[in-house]
Amino acid sequence: MNKFRLYFDKDEETKWLNLMCMNGWAFTSFCLGVYHFEPCESGEYIYQIDLLSSWSGNKKDFAVFMEESGVEVLSQWYRWVFMRKRASEGPFEMYSDNESKIKQYARIRNFFAVVLVVEILCFLDELYFVMRMPTLALWGLVVLIGIIILAFLQIVLKCRWKIQQLRNEE
Amino acid sequence: MDKNVPLTEALFYILLAVRKPNHGYGIIQDVREMTGGRLILGPGTLYGAINSMMSKRWIKLYSEDKESRKKKEYQITDTGRDIFEAEVKRLKELVENAKLYEA
Repeated sequence: MNKFRLYFDKDEETKWLNLMCMNGWAFTSFCLGVYHFEPCESGEYIYQIDLLSSWSGNKKDFAVFMEESGVEVLSQWYRWVFMRKRASEGPFEMYSDNESKIKQYARIRNFFAVVLVVEILCFLDELYFVMRMPTLALWGLVVLIGIIILAFLQIVLKCRWKIQQLRNEE
Repeated sequence: MDKNVPLTEALFYILLAVRKPNHGYGIIQDVREMTGGRLILGPGTLYGAINSMMSKRWIKLYSEDKESRKKKEYQITDTGRDIFEAEVKRLKELVENAKLYEA
């Protein structure tokens, strides 16, 4: 079974994958917003999603390390990695202390901060065009980019809030 | 060296687990056993810690044969041992001072 979804928030995305698994559908691969599922026992796997630390990509190194640590790497999409472990092997969390959790949220925040700037530049560029040649299609594009900008901004703010929460716990 | 101490709990136990050559899965299992199941290292936490300790040369790759399909093994270096000893010394001081007030 395939499902199309647009997730920007990896916490929400993880929650959804685990919920799907509870309902007997095990996520197995991802490409361009299409999630592929296979039937499974209810709650057979625990899913986690992570963002690689480098833009140039330490994909292979990361995947090999995870496989050697008993984690199944399902899909790597750009800097994002989808992983799972059998629930029978016990709890599965990527990060076991606040310091490394903070680092993860900082990585995600920085990632979205960069794409946010790129989107804002696109937005201004489109806005310039639409002023000179106001067509419905161009206005549609401007609105769409505007929505994406707000979504990215929300993630950046959420990551900042999460980091603050984790710092307060220390 | 002083700014490296105190070590985080994760770093402390990873250094302890690589006194003999050990791979990712082995480190997680050993730390779990040593702490009676209390500390289960997240694989992401372990990955970050290993990369950071590799770049500081506290640990090194052990396996001689890089072409083999054997799992990557890590081992503590002399620098790593010094850092670890400094931390143990600090912890001993804590415990000894605590004991003075126990009675």
